[in-house]
Amino acid sequence: MSGDLAERQAALVAALVAGGPVPAGFDPAALAAAGAALLRKRAGEVARHWPLLAAGLGPRWPATFARWAAGRPSGGSLRDGWDLARDLRDRGALPPLGAEELAAREATDRYDGHAPPRPRRLPGWGHAGGAVAVQAAGRVRLLRPARR
Amino acid sequence: MTGPAGVGIGWRPEIAGFVAGLPGLRFVEVVAESLAATGPPPAGLAALRERGVTVVPHGVRLSLGGAEPVDPARVAHLGAVAELVGAPLVSEHIAFVRAGGVEAGHLLPLPRSREAVDAVCANVARAQAALPVPIALEPIAALFDWPDDELDEADFLTEILDRTGAFLLLDVANVYANARNRGVDPVALLDRLPLERVSYVHVAGGAEHGGYYHDTHTDPVPPPVLDLLRELCARRRPPALLLERDGHHPPAPVLRAELDALAAASGFPVVT
Repeated sequence: MSGDLAERQAALVAALVAGGPVPAGFDPAALAAAGAALLRKRAGEVARHWPLLAAGLGPRWPATFARWAAGRPSGGSLRDGWDLARDLRDRGALPPLGAEELAAREATDRYDGHAPPRPRRLPGWGHAGGAVAVQAAGRVRLLRPARR
Repeated sequence: MTGPAGVGIGWRPEIAGFVAGLPGLRFVEVVAESLAATGPPPAGLAALRERGVTVVPHGVRLSLGGAEPVDPARVAHLGAVAELVGAPLVSEHIAFVRAGGVEAGHLLPLPRSREAVDAVCANVARAQAALPVPIALEPIAALFDWPDDELDEADFLTEILDRTGAFLLLDVANVYANARNRGVDPVALLDRLPLERVSYVHVAGGAEHGGYYHDTHTDPVPPPVLDLLRELCARRRPPALLLERDGHHPPAPVLRAELDALAAASGFPVVT
């Protein structure tokens, strides 16, 4: 079998990270193991960008991240963590540490969920789970901690 | 600037203090994408350079095995980083990391086909034309194979090295992982690779999950990987060895013991 390498590589990546079907001839168990390993690696990378979010979830972090990220290609660690934090906030499942981290990020950067986040030039504020953060001239301060 | 020599370690910000305190160290590797092309390099890395430690940028996102041409901006970044740290060579993988506009997030294996050999050789040639220093290519660890392999691993790698003239960055942990997951003998591959082309060797830890051995870089180096390193050195000792540890960093004495184990297995001087 030969053919279009580009198409076959795209189908393989889609199967591994975007919920695509297992391409013909591949070992489904081996691909599933590879997909799970990718999620573990990604969870570690996102935790480095969102240390408080990950710490707030503690032992639940790997499974929480993997559930959210399965079938969802990465937008980069910063955006992955941001999207997950907003998703948890909307479902009332964001831990206080994660709420404070999200509030601080919302105060410093503008992020519409589609394009990469951009630093706010003007003073801004963010809130999540009762936490309120304000930012002026690039310095961010937590005005009120999250509900605990 | 001299080539990699002796026992080295992957420089990571989390262990910069540990690495700075290794008295005999002559060689480190740094993830190329973690450095800004315009500099300055991180202070810890700059201090190592001042000590005469060789720094090799190790790319992880060029996607040399992608069917599409390698991104010239990524090659330019790798080259700029090499000049920034005065590197004698750079390294990258025989793998692809994105396709169809989607990032896989890690190194994925190529089919061992003529078509894939052509694709990777074309991309290596594009990179070599733009890089200021030679490149060494690293075969990866993979949990799966493509269904239509035409070449075995040794022929696939040898063909790519012959056609590109690139050096080989051999990862004994990858050789071990692949052999174990395929149920074959890792030493058999060593006997068929062009060991005279090895510029340095990676050693890393891994762990078993769900019936597969994973090359995690976050676990201890297991004894069979050290055994394989001894087998390699008995055949032809490479110029340098490099310990890769990317996370779950252990206490300093444990990391020192791993470096000492590399020295003991190879006969290189201890660096700790």
